[in-house]
Amino acid sequence: MSTGTQRVLGELLAVGRLQAFAVSAKGFAFDPRTGQSFSINETGVRTLELLVETGDVARAVERLAADCEVPAEVVEGAVTAFVHQLGRYLA
Amino acid sequence: MTARRAWEPPFIQPHRHDVSPFGRRGVDDDIQGAIAGVDIETLIDRWGSPLFVASEGRLRENVRRIREAFASRYPDVVHGWSYKTNYLGAICRILHQEGSWAEVVSAFEYEKARALGVPGPRILFNGPHKPRAILERASAEGARLHVDHLDELATIESIARDRGTVIPVTLRLNFDTGHTEPWSRFGFNIESGQAYEAAVRVKASPHLVLTGLHSHIGTFILEPRAYGEQVRRMAGFMAELEGEGHDAITSLDIGGGLPSRNALQGIYLPPEQAVPSIDSYAVAVCGALERAFADRPRERWPTLIFESGRAVVDDAVSLVASVVGTKRLPDGRRAVVLDAGVNSMLTALWYDHPVRLTRPVPGAPEETVLYGPLCMNIDVMRRQVRLPPLAVGDRLVFNPAGAYNNTQWMQFIEYRPAVALVGEDGGHSLIRAAETLEDVCRPERMPAHLQTGDGTR
Amino acid sequence: MNAPLPFDRGWRRWTVGITGMNAIPDNPGPGLAVARCLRAAGFDGRIVGLGYEPLDAGLYHGGLCDAAYLMPYPAVGAEAQRARLGEIQLAERLDFVIPCLDAELTTFVDNQAALRAMGIGSLLPDRRQLAARAKDNLVALCERLGLPVPRTKVATNPAFFDTCESDGWRFPLVVKGPYYDAAVARDPAEASRAFARIAAQWGYPVLVQEFVRGYEVNLTAIGDGDGGMIAPVMMRKRALTDKGKAWAGVAISDPELEALAAKLIEGLRWRGPLEVEAMRSDEGLYLIEINPRFPAWTYLTHGVGRNLPEALLRLAAGERLAEPVPPAPGVMFIRYAEELIVSPDSFRLIMVDGALNAAPAAAPSRPSRMFG
Repeated sequence: MSTGTQRVLGELLAVGRLQAFAVSAKGFAFDPRTGQSFSINETGVRTLELLVETGDVARAVERLAADCEVPAEVVEGAVTAFVHQLGRYLA
Repeated sequence: MTARRAWEPPFIQPHRHDVSPFGRRGVDDDIQGAIAGVDIETLIDRWGSPLFVASEGRLRENVRRIREAFASRYPDVVHGWSYKTNYLGAICRILHQEGSWAEVVSAFEYEKARALGVPGPRILFNGPHKPRAILERASAEGARLHVDHLDELATIESIARDRGTVIPVTLRLNFDTGHTEPWSRFGFNIESGQAYEAAVRVKASPHLVLTGLHSHIGTFILEPRAYGEQVRRMAGFMAELEGEGHDAITSLDIGGGLPSRNALQGIYLPPEQAVPSIDSYAVAVCGALERAFADRPRERWPTLIFESGRAVVDDAVSLVASVVGTKRLPDGRRAVVLDAGVNSMLTALWYDHPVRLTRPVPGAPEETVLYGPLCMNIDVMRRQVRLPPLAVGDRLVFNPAGAYNNTQWMQFIEYRPAVALVGEDGGHSLIRAAETLEDVCRPERMPAHLQTGDGTR
Repeated sequence: MNAPLPFDRGWRRWTVGITGMNAIPDNPGPGLAVARCLRAAGFDGRIVGLGYEPLDAGLYHGGLCDAAYLMPYPAVGAEAQRARLGEIQLAERLDFVIPCLDAELTTFVDNQAALRAMGIGSLLPDRRQLAARAKDNLVALCERLGLPVPRTKVATNPAFFDTCESDGWRFPLVVKGPYYDAAVARDPAEASRAFARIAAQWGYPVLVQEFVRGYEVNLTAIGDGDGGMIAPVMMRKRALTDKGKAWAGVAISDPELEALAAKLIEGLRWRGPLEVEAMRSDEGLYLIEINPRFPAWTYLTHGVGRNLPEALLRLAAGERLAEPVPPAPGVMFIRYAEELIVSPDSFRLIMVDGALNAAPAAAPSRPSRMFG
């Protein structure tokens, strides 16, 4: 796991951005600071939960890979991209 | 392989106020598993992917229906099969069996029609480039020569003079119908007097006789009245010539341009709403003919020739392609890479070809871009189409795909795919094999000093 | 005419779907005005707003719309429209639908019989009538009916503007899209720009029309399908937005305009609402456009006592309409903007389910398929 990805996650969590992100079950998300709303797919909603819960990219990847029965290296690439997406949109 | 379906990479997409998530929603269960009753997987197993598949039954049905639309409204009708639309031998043969003549536009097409056994008098020879040698052959074989410019007219005249004969010619005309942009680069313009001048020139020659008029108003014409106006203008010109003592014109050729049920880019409504029925074109054409010739006896009504290509073959041929990769674009759209691109289906540059999955795929449909296999930015099969999340190996069927693809396709970095035909009895056969390295390299020659050297020094 | 309209319930208690719920202040769709007319006429059934974009204001206007749904764009086709209305019908049991946008008329007209089979009535022209009034057929129509129309031509190539003056086309020219958008161009460069913009958004054909100097007058009415014109209301714009739309207008009484519209409706045997746009110049009255729907200024029809949406429902319900009150020239409208408060949940439901306040009978069949 690249330390860069973990750093992006850490920064988002430190200022409470991910925790404040209101996500409905159907993947509608709203960022109260910017007023921007988003659609998040099912895997994205689950990933977000795991990221907030564990605070750790590697552990989120591990749990997601187990849930979805997909090789960890596949999940890792996807989650890395997702975290960077979050970093960009919530910057 | 089931886990593959359940996994979709996590993704977040910002909303835009002017993009409705429901805006492009079509009918989700739009699945096509078979072509003319034959399972698509069976065809792909046999000949590989990508694969063009033609339906003989549909092709015959189309040409009969379209010819009947005109023949039921006008006494003397000839359909000229437009070779350039799709000149695969088997396709042409089917249409010739159905009674269509050959409409060719080059020496190559002329030679191909003859090689398929079409007699000269049943060949309509159009096009702006007809070298002397092919004109000599075509005139000797009795083909109908449609003249594009005065230099060609002079060549034909000189051939006739050399032989001491008279060659009948048809003049290609152009003019403004008010409905379409005039294709003024082809043939002789009526408004400027060029067409009249050409006719006078024919009349003055002891070696030429004018027997026909031809024009082609454009392609994918969505306004039937444009053809009505075309006929009115051509019949008016014909009456003008006849009134001045020219020989009788025995055929009016209105060219092609009838649309298929494809989605031309730049037309707001889909083809189901935007494309008029073939009958409405036949009504416009035959109604205008009837008005134009009301005052002359039926035996002096000219033969009506029409050269429809696209409307006959487009939906009779499908292209089956397979997914070779998937990705998310930075702007959030789903993207899919297919094994067939604009190299095989060049018309994707101008048309949003309708596309269907061959079997249901679970998951939420989303806007998806379909890319081809080329390393070029323009290789886009569909800029946006709503599809569920696809995976490698999923297949898509593009239809219509029969017009201008098996003729305009290019051998750029890939081999051109095979073309199969599903017969009326459900049997299937190959009508063009997939290209091989040998096919592509056969015309190449290696000079003696380049016979060795493989990059290893 | 398959399923009969529910006459027993009376039109005031129908469930009516209305499109055109967009309401950008300087260029609103007609749907909200149509809904307001119905409410003003004592309609107390259900109004279902049918929108195309998540910020179509009418979708959130609780006082006017009882429920709201997002529709697929007309460009996706009649089949998609039919499928979506079929889903909506499961929940809403629509009795009647009033399409209010030019671009969707073709698909609604093609779906007329299918919608009727689902129990959704409508009062619309047929395909032939719709095509006869299209902008590229206007000249032919006017020639047939003997009505004055400015010279109009289909342009397929902006190169036309470079040479058109030699064919007698004098600038300024009006460049128009097949459904919406028109621009007055003073020279070939302006015309080419307008051409490119319009073709990119609305496709072809693009029309070129001679510019008529004068002022515009408009008329809206309903054609009864037998050649009769019901309750015409005429208006002249008094003040324009930047987009050339009226933000204030005054009811007028122009017998010549009325006669022109009557001739059109009779000649077309028009069925359903329409708007006639004409230019009054020194030389007389020129027809410039016929729109196959109610205009955005429809609320004025209620203001002058000739509430056309009400008349439409009465007509559909088979009522004999009373003689309309005399037109009331001088009555004005002034359009103003007002903010709607939209809860986060409402916006979320529109974005996620494409539906707001759906009737409890059934939820939309595939609410969550839009997102993973």
